[in-house]
Amino acid sequence: MIPVCKEIRQDILRISRSSGHGHIGTCFSVVEILHAIYGVIRHDPKNPSWEERDIFILSKGHAALGHYCVLARLGYFDIKELDSFGAFMSRLGCHADRHKVPGVEASTGSLGHGIGLAVGMALALRIKKSGRRVIVVVGDGEANEGSVWEAVLVAADLKLANLTVIYDDNRSHSRGLQICNPAEKFAAFGCEVAEVNGHDVGELRTELVKKQGTVKVVVAGTKKGAGCRTIEDNQYEWHRKSPSDAELETLLRELDEKTI
Amino acid sequence: MELAAQDDRIALILGDVSVYLFSDFQEKYPDRFYNMGICENTLISVTAGLSSQGFRPFVHTITPFITERSFEQIKVDMRYNGFGGNIVSCGASFDYAWDGATHHCYTDLAILRLLPGMEVLQPGSRKELDLLLRSRYNNGQATYFRLSDHPHDIDVPVEFGKGVLLKDRGASVTVMTAGPILGNVLEACRDLDVNLVYFHTIKPIDKELVRRFKNTKILVIHDAFGLYEAVCEVPELSVSYHGLPDAFCGWYGTLNDIRKKIGLDTVSLRELIRQKAGAPGKR
Repeated sequence: MIPVCKEIRQDILRISRSSGHGHIGTCFSVVEILHAIYGVIRHDPKNPSWEERDIFILSKGHAALGHYCVLARLGYFDIKELDSFGAFMSRLGCHADRHKVPGVEASTGSLGHGIGLAVGMALALRIKKSGRRVIVVVGDGEANEGSVWEAVLVAADLKLANLTVIYDDNRSHSRGLQICNPAEKFAAFGCEVAEVNGHDVGELRTELVKKQGTVKVVVAGTKKGAGCRTIEDNQYEWHRKSPSDAELETLLRELDEKTI
Repeated sequence: MELAAQDDRIALILGDVSVYLFSDFQEKYPDRFYNMGICENTLISVTAGLSSQGFRPFVHTITPFITERSFEQIKVDMRYNGFGGNIVSCGASFDYAWDGATHHCYTDLAILRLLPGMEVLQPGSRKELDLLLRSRYNNGQATYFRLSDHPHDIDVPVEFGKGVLLKDRGASVTVMTAGPILGNVLEACRDLDVNLVYFHTIKPIDKELVRRFKNTKILVIHDAFGLYEAVCEVPELSVSYHGLPDAFCGWYGTLNDIRKKIGLDTVSLRELIRQKAGAPGKR
């Protein structure tokens, strides 16, 4: 695990403990993905509405805490503001509101919406002959929603080469409706597909900078709770749980011991 | 076409209906024309996404599918996110009577008016559509235009958010209506002692005009839900509703067949209004 990704996980644990909120497992599965994305897109934390910026949308909005921790470290807002997560008057809700949080391009939370918005944005940028790109992260549990597959069909039909979908295959779906062989499915829908280790920033980055001929789906193999054995091994218990002081100590220690 | 020629931010998203009607548009502006298929949820999301990048998109398909089926996309992607878009439906109420209850749609106005900031329009004539569309398409808001295959041909003043006082007889009963059913309503109450108020904007409703008749008995006649609820936003009114039953209208045939069955034909309406107007008391 690279140091910054460990620090982001420490922030997530700390804020989850203090706020009593946060889907730690789903946040942990996308830490490297988020880090890789912000390493390749054009963006300016000091000017979030910069007209030449690329667009990133977290369609699986449950990982908002992870996104906030990444945005804060990038300088979109003061890292101290993370302490307000989930509080009544905070800008940082358990699902993000784009009107409140600098760097958030779309308010998500209800699953299967962000990807459709991303298709519309990518289409708009193509019509305008803009060089900007759109990246959207979709969860495998989210892909139970039919609207995800509608949007992928439309994106493939439009051959949106400026749209990249990262499919966080953290096996959330194992609890319910299973999505078997997602890479095959996306390929059958007409997308370019790459499969990577979703906890390897280098692999992710390599795929994110390759030239695309149409919409591309990066199927990222990840683990819910990656980095903390207690969460990895007890996903149901930790789907939406905030640690006690003793649990926080254990989880932080596991982070120190673990290498992804 | 005229608007599209003047404004290159206009894009057209079709749900595989009315495609041939827009062949000229498609030919002239191929990069702004998309028959995106039968996927109404995504049509709304894509429209919101286009709007977020400065376009003034129109999305068009059949009423129940673009409103009832896609309600959450309109709520989250357009309204909560604050991305706009012009939703233009076809097949209002019982326009597709013969297709049965899956294609009948009378809840669209009522559910969309519940969304904060949503503009809900029911143009009843071609003129109303033309003027409302030109005045509202470009405001960056989420605006719903409910089109009908059976417009009325009554010439009324058109201004967004303003109701129209068609008859003010100082009567104790005021009929309020909206959209194409005005044709039947106007005919039904032509010489009866009632006031008549007409709306092409359901949200925002013209509360000031409604309030003027608060000392009369208000009868809302509408072949949909939504207007009655909007009128009831004005406090301390005496309002009743004549329109849809609390049941699926499980018949086929034509628009007029169903209107007759549920008492929205001219003869039934005239009888109803005559009974109401016979009630004593002046305003």
